[in-house]
Amino acid sequence: MTEPRNPSMSSIPQTGPAHTDSSSPAVEMDPVEYTLRKRLPRKLPKRRNDVYVNMKTDFRAQLARCQKLLEGGGHREICVHGLGLAINRAINIALQLQASSQGALQLAANTSTVELVDDLEPEDPDEAGEPMTRTRNNSAIHIKVFYPDPQ
Amino acid sequence: MQTTHDSLSLLTGENADPLKGGLSEVHPSTERKKKTPHQSGWVRGHHKDGGGYTKEMPKYITAGAFARARAAEVSAMLKAVRKTTSSSHVFEALPKHMRRRAMSHNTKRLPHRLREVANRMREKSLQARRRHGNLLLEFNRRQRKNIWLETHIWHAKRFHMVKKWGYCLGDRPTYKCYRACYRAMSSHCLLQDLSYYCCIELQGDEDKLLAALSQLTSKEAGPTFAAALCLSGRRQGSVMVYRAGRYPSQPLGPVTFLWRPRTQGSVHRQLWIWAHPTLKQDLLPELQTVCQCCEAVIPPAAPVEVNPTLEADSEPENTPEAKPVPGTKRKRSRKDATGPPAKKILGDGTRLPSTPVSWRSSSNGIVINDLTMEIVRYRLIGPQSHSVLVDTLEAATGCDVRTTCSLWWPQHCSDEAKMTLHQQQADIFNILKGIYSTAELPSGTVLGLTVDDPRLTLPRKRVKALPCVKQVDEEKRRKLMLEGVPEPCCQSFIWEQSVRDNVTDNKISEQELNRMRSEVLVPGSRLSPTPLQGRVPILLVHQPGKQVGHEMSSWGAGWDLLLPKGWGMAFWIPLVYRGVRIGGLNMSLKHSQNKAAPHFPRDYPDCPAGMCFQEEQEAELLDKFKRHPPAKRTNYIKHGCVAPFRCPWQQLAEEWEIIVQEGGSQARTTAQADAVTEERTSQQAISITKPLSRFTVLRNRKALRLLSAWCRPTTSKGQRPCRVGELPPISCEAVTSFLSAHAMSLVWVHVSLLSKGKPEYHAMLCVPTPEDLKALGNRQGTGGPQEPPHRDHFKSRIKRRKKEPKKASSSDLVLGLWPDPLPSVASHCSRVTVGWVTQGDFSMSAGCGEALGFVSVAGLLNTLLNQTSEHKGKLLLRNPTSLHYRFAKINVEV
Repeated sequence: MTEPRNPSMSSIPQTGPAHTDSSSPAVEMDPVEYTLRKRLPRKLPKRRNDVYVNMKTDFRAQLARCQKLLEGGGHREICVHGLGLAINRAINIALQLQASSQGALQLAANTSTVELVDDLEPEDPDEAGEPMTRTRNNSAIHIKVFYPDPQ
Repeated sequence: MQTTHDSLSLLTGENADPLKGGLSEVHPSTERKKKTPHQSGWVRGHHKDGGGYTKEMPKYITAGAFARARAAEVSAMLKAVRKTTSSSHVFEALPKHMRRRAMSHNTKRLPHRLREVANRMREKSLQARRRHGNLLLEFNRRQRKNIWLETHIWHAKRFHMVKKWGYCLGDRPTYKCYRACYRAMSSHCLLQDLSYYCCIELQGDEDKLLAALSQLTSKEAGPTFAAALCLSGRRQGSVMVYRAGRYPSQPLGPVTFLWRPRTQGSVHRQLWIWAHPTLKQDLLPELQTVCQCCEAVIPPAAPVEVNPTLEADSEPENTPEAKPVPGTKRKRSRKDATGPPAKKILGDGTRLPSTPVSWRSSSNGIVINDLTMEIVRYRLIGPQSHSVLVDTLEAATGCDVRTTCSLWWPQHCSDEAKMTLHQQQADIFNILKGIYSTAELPSGTVLGLTVDDPRLTLPRKRVKALPCVKQVDEEKRRKLMLEGVPEPCCQSFIWEQSVRDNVTDNKISEQELNRMRSEVLVPGSRLSPTPLQGRVPILLVHQPGKQVGHEMSSWGAGWDLLLPKGWGMAFWIPLVYRGVRIGGLNMSLKHSQNKAAPHFPRDYPDCPAGMCFQEEQEAELLDKFKRHPPAKRTNYIKHGCVAPFRCPWQQLAEEWEIIVQEGGSQARTTAQADAVTEERTSQQAISITKPLSRFTVLRNRKALRLLSAWCRPTTSKGQRPCRVGELPPISCEAVTSFLSAHAMSLVWVHVSLLSKGKPEYHAMLCVPTPEDLKALGNRQGTGGPQEPPHRDHFKSRIKRRKKEPKKASSSDLVLGLWPDPLPSVASHCSRVTVGWVTQGDFSMSAGCGEALGFVSVAGLLNTLLNQTSEHKGKLLLRNPTSLHYRFAKINVEV
């Protein structure tokens, strides 16, 4: 855990082609010429029972939040979303929830791919011309945690 | 005539008392003089016992000449006696025993002779004063000194207003909304009126403009006016402006700029530079110099001779306007009564008609226009600001009136090319509906648009604009997010003076609009044929959010809305009805604090405006400090705080320069070592200060990046280290070469506290000793070390001075403050000071105390060299009113 790679929360201006997970054809660039600036991932409207997991908040706090929603909040199901590095944590949270409910909860996981946008700003903008924008993909997980219907 | 009568009565003889009543009280000496035995004639001037001058007594006195010689004195005396106290009530001329209750209300209680005057002075009834014409006159009078924005009255009802920079601005709302405003910024939308920002327009050939402007900027400090994307007009740029050719040493301040997109086959370009009003007075002469524009273009309406040197600053506060004399209002209103009082459209009335707003160069054809107050600028901050805009504004509906009419829109409608462009712009504007957060767009995007009068679609109740992610064309949305607005769509007719004037002049008044609404068949329905006047060209400019640092990226992004003047309120109310919060000046400070961006002019101590601000702030804080009774004041001397109200940056930079020179590579962070240097520095400071130059703030991007890596950046509270690129590690040689390149400089740092504590402004940033860091590692002293209380040597001096009130030699001694030649600021306390905080507060986004400030580069590098890698960049922070040091992590953010 040397770097907060959760894209929903952080953007790291750094030099060089640090991220090789770019899906777009590799852009030829000089490591000094460009500054990478990550844009926030596209957000979607959020219901009350959606939980977006990040790497900044304490794990226990996020777990407690989910438990509150299920027990006190009166939701029959919640949806735990995790992106990139936070996938691991989202899975952990879901499993912890299930374990602590003594089998009353069930999980249904879905994965997806999220398109992220990076801005490449030239260091010397007068000559380099256009700043570039590139897209790359990152994995995401959406875990539905729910009480199964009685029948 | 009164005067001469009185002066004659002086002559009538000794036994007649010439000065009745109040006069005798004022000049008791005259009475005493009379009683002296030598008093046999009237003698002018000073004399002892009256003896010296009595020898040559005049045989006769010519009454006229005698009276004339004394007329001035007597009239001055009478004036002094007659002068009433501050307010101008008539009855204040009466002695106390003749005053009666409710005299100002019922003039019949006054003596007969004063009644007439009092009747004239009586204020008109409230109804009369509230009559429209009178009210406007009163408003015009009140905004003569400080300009009102168009939303002034709206703000004045709800905000604490301050008079700043020649404007009346809302500082903070009268209701409690600090947290609500923060929430609005981070989750919905906060609205601010930024119309006080000054716009300067430059017109000319592109290469000539660029050549002129390149003298003001430097590529080392980031993109300049010539940045390719900004030059095309698709993005707004921001740049730091320096005096011509004085790159590192003489900065002026930050500006944002906007190029008008190119028209086909033309090299003629138009550029708007937006600057803070305190910056404008420095910037405008500088622009005139680099563009060689000195010929003031006199406005055609005013044939008055103008002096170009005087016009260099058309800053409204500098306009040579007569101070309003109390009592002149009546005269003016009577004079104006001949014509109906004209409503001032702001911008026109605020500067003298003879003041030129335009300068032309004869050599290169560049024209500079001062568009201050010509364009209204609103700023919407927050992720939902685009939904507010989409809700409020509607792209202008076309019209098929083929008649020749003076309005601009029908003329444009007949042009096919313009209509296709308008259609494209409207399409892009509609794509905004499909976007969830403002931060998804490329920063600085510009979108030109023509919209309908938003008053027509005003909701009946205040609603909260919420995003409804409609199913817009996914492909188009993606294109907009990746590439921004295509170049032709950035064009707007707001760039054209004639269209702006046309729109401003033909605005439908509120009254007329209401009349038209009342004639609609179904009450509350929309006016079916939109009135032709209701088309406004606007410009939407995306504002980037937080761009530096590793957390809360693009927090506080938003849109700026540029409107032609006169339309301010017509857009303000509809925006307010969409559930936005309104912020004042203090919210813009909080906004920049959360963005970790320096706030102009507060955080630009090397700029003229920043220096000015610092002096004002010091005077204000000192004044506030002195208002407390001495026993209730903080004794800053005892707290070891040398300069609680002002940061002596120059002295700090100089001292660190000396410390580094002396110490060389030797570690010099311990207090004992510095106690030794303290004496030496104080001696050497006198000899060495001369060759040292002024301090500068480090803005070189490369140097900042290097410094940032050396600080070992972490997330806030220092939890996780962040990755940096491959840069040379910190070493003695690297530091020496760095310091030789950037001597006497300060660097902008972001400080977050590791434990509790709320930093305040002017808190000290100090270097921890190795023992402190060891304690921090052991988790024993996480609270941080304490500063031993200092002794106040000046207290006894002040006490002594009190006993002998005659000798007011050291009058600048204030209890609890250091007198002026400050001692060594760096090594005054047990921990060495490297800098100060300029903004600090509990940060609601990070959940801990966070501060922004400057540290001396020399001091910082010296500290970093001596710190182990696990404690790199850890400093101590101490508030001026506290003895407790707190650990903090500093980050240099690029």
